[in-house]
Amino acid sequence: MILRPSREDLKIIGWAIGRIILGIALIMLIPLVVSLACSEWSAALDFLVGILACVAFWLIVENVCYVKKDLGWFHGLIVASAGWITAMLFGAIPHFLSGHFRSYLDACFDLMSGYTTTGLYLLQDLDHVSHGLNMWRHLLTYAGGQGIIVIALTFLFAGTAGAFKIYVSEGKEERLLPNVIRTARAIWMVSLTYLWVGSGFLWIALTKEGMPLGRGFLHAVWLFMGSWSTGGFAPQALNLLYYHSFWVEFITLIIFVIGSFNFALHYSVWMGDRKEILRNVEVRSFATTVLIGVFVLSLGFGKLGIYTTLPEFFRKGFYNLVSGHTTTGNSTIYSVSFLREFGWLAMWATVFCMAIGASACSTGGGFKGLRMGVIFRYLRGEVRRLVSPDASVITEKIHHIRDIWLNDAIVKGAMFIVISYMVIYSLGAMLGIIYGYEPSVAIFDAISAGSNTGLSAGLTSPLMPALLKLFYIFEMWAGRLEFISVFALLGFAGALVRGKGKRSILRRRR
Amino acid sequence: MRGVVVAAIITVLAIFTQVPLLVGYVPVIWAGEEEWEAPSGEKVTIDQLINGKHVVEERIMGNMEYYDGKMITIEGEVIGDIMYRGDYAWITVNDDPYSLRKSLEEGGDFVGLSNQGIGVWVSREAAKKIMTCGGYKNKGDIVSITGEFHRACHEHGGDTDIHAANLEVISSGYAFSHPFSYGKLLAVMVLSLICIYLYYLRHQKIKKVIREE
Repeated sequence: MILRPSREDLKIIGWAIGRIILGIALIMLIPLVVSLACSEWSAALDFLVGILACVAFWLIVENVCYVKKDLGWFHGLIVASAGWITAMLFGAIPHFLSGHFRSYLDACFDLMSGYTTTGLYLLQDLDHVSHGLNMWRHLLTYAGGQGIIVIALTFLFAGTAGAFKIYVSEGKEERLLPNVIRTARAIWMVSLTYLWVGSGFLWIALTKEGMPLGRGFLHAVWLFMGSWSTGGFAPQALNLLYYHSFWVEFITLIIFVIGSFNFALHYSVWMGDRKEILRNVEVRSFATTVLIGVFVLSLGFGKLGIYTTLPEFFRKGFYNLVSGHTTTGNSTIYSVSFLREFGWLAMWATVFCMAIGASACSTGGGFKGLRMGVIFRYLRGEVRRLVSPDASVITEKIHHIRDIWLNDAIVKGAMFIVISYMVIYSLGAMLGIIYGYEPSVAIFDAISAGSNTGLSAGLTSPLMPALLKLFYIFEMWAGRLEFISVFALLGFAGALVRGKGKRSILRRRR
Repeated sequence: MRGVVVAAIITVLAIFTQVPLLVGYVPVIWAGEEEWEAPSGEKVTIDQLINGKHVVEERIMGNMEYYDGKMITIEGEVIGDIMYRGDYAWITVNDDPYSLRKSLEEGGDFVGLSNQGIGVWVSREAAKKIMTCGGYKNKGDIVSITGEFHRACHEHGGDTDIHAANLEVISSGYAFSHPFSYGKLLAVMVLSLICIYLYYLRHQKIKKVIREE
């Protein structure tokens, strides 16, 4: 029997979502300061309205949803999924007020794309936006990369035992430290350290390439945020092509590769276990699939006779392939070039890498290297079992921070997520094709949205149908949260409508 | 039962194919038009687009192979930065309506799509003619550039660019101010009052809970 959630359940969920929205208000203070510092008064007002709306929401739920109970597992799942949607709705306020969006839906699309580190955007006239709005765009992708729940945990959930439940529900399973709030802070420590180092290198490179010091600094910070978070946003419409610089491309490439690795791997290396880099299943999986991608890419380029020199192959082929694989979306070519210049083979090599994606518990999306490793080892074990005597016992293990012996539950879990990704990729592609887009373009953009990559072959634009925008928002959201929380939210909605009785989920769990 | 399912699928597909009309979907067409409107407003034919007449960026990007190595003329706003590299410099020129007419910040209308712009490799002397680059507070200089288009420039690591042979400033850029929005100020004031009231309520509630405990 499905039980209807009680008022108490709703209050617990509402209270936690309120905290997340307060976190969004706190992040908005940074672009507000940038707007004020750059005398962008109109943009400053946009952020003030956004901040006050977030604070008002938080205060309303604090008044209405006060309850002396902690979060349960189910609440955690609902808070994570509904929290992202609510954060999208409130975060889109400054975007919409900026006047660069045709509709609130377009603003929400960009917000979800930012939070989920996708990088697709519908913003119009990007080359004329304020520094404040650019700071907000990049900051939200940087914050989204760590996980907006992680932000709320870091500052606003101190001391609650239910914190771990919403942390896990955001698609992060790693606990670097025994305490989840200290884990969230460790994630921030890693990210902020890289922010200063990476931005410093980019600033030097941009200044050397002729950018003025002040704008160079801002661009360096934004490019770092876009690359590290694997979001792929850039302050100019030409993205990385704007800079015409090998060094800027090289540094961002290193940043997004590092950013795409598992936070647990980062922490392990920080703690002195450098051998983990070579032994980790995700690093091995990434290296293998990149090599396959590069091989196919070089076949494609060789056939077409385009990008024939090594620097050209590195800057146009390898860069965009790895950008796709890490689900970043930084690009050194025009969107239409994937379709018109890359050719069939090179384009599909990029699509293949995008679909696989980055590491689990990182800033990236896609199937994830960990799951590819699990599935590969499982298949290898099955083959070994077939060719071995009946009495032999075949077991497979992967190494991810520690040795993990594969069992049915692990393999089923990995397969379930991979199949879920394939379903949303397929549905997005079908919808695009039904709307009359070229199939390869529809598939490319659907996989890009679902894997949170952000490269586009030209479909994503303010003129795309509203239904497709909505589905892409769903794809980005579901892909980032890795489905479980999304299914839980759907189940919760069903229980609200069709559930029986008024028993609390909290009590039922006990 | 099976018939009902098939009928339902057909109905859904029929609705989907009509949806583009309902939500204003306009497919992007890259090539095949008989006439093309140049930034200056004049109507030109496909033959006139190359070698001497203006080419719009959208047209180039849709037909890169066709224009590769050809001399073209584009007209657009210089945006962002001038990045000097020795005796040369990189500029970015955008020819979408936001650049050629009014940007959204200046009060321009939505036109649907904005272009990405194109990188132009110009001599240092030519770059010095540019006084204003477009951005949030400025309308950039409108320039006319004639040069060789490269779909994958061997000199610049495969970049898609134009090597300018001639740069002419058609109209100078200028700084513009943003109109102050009293509506937004009113929203700030109303939301501030609401927040103060809600904060007071929350404070009272906390006091009450502490008293009860």
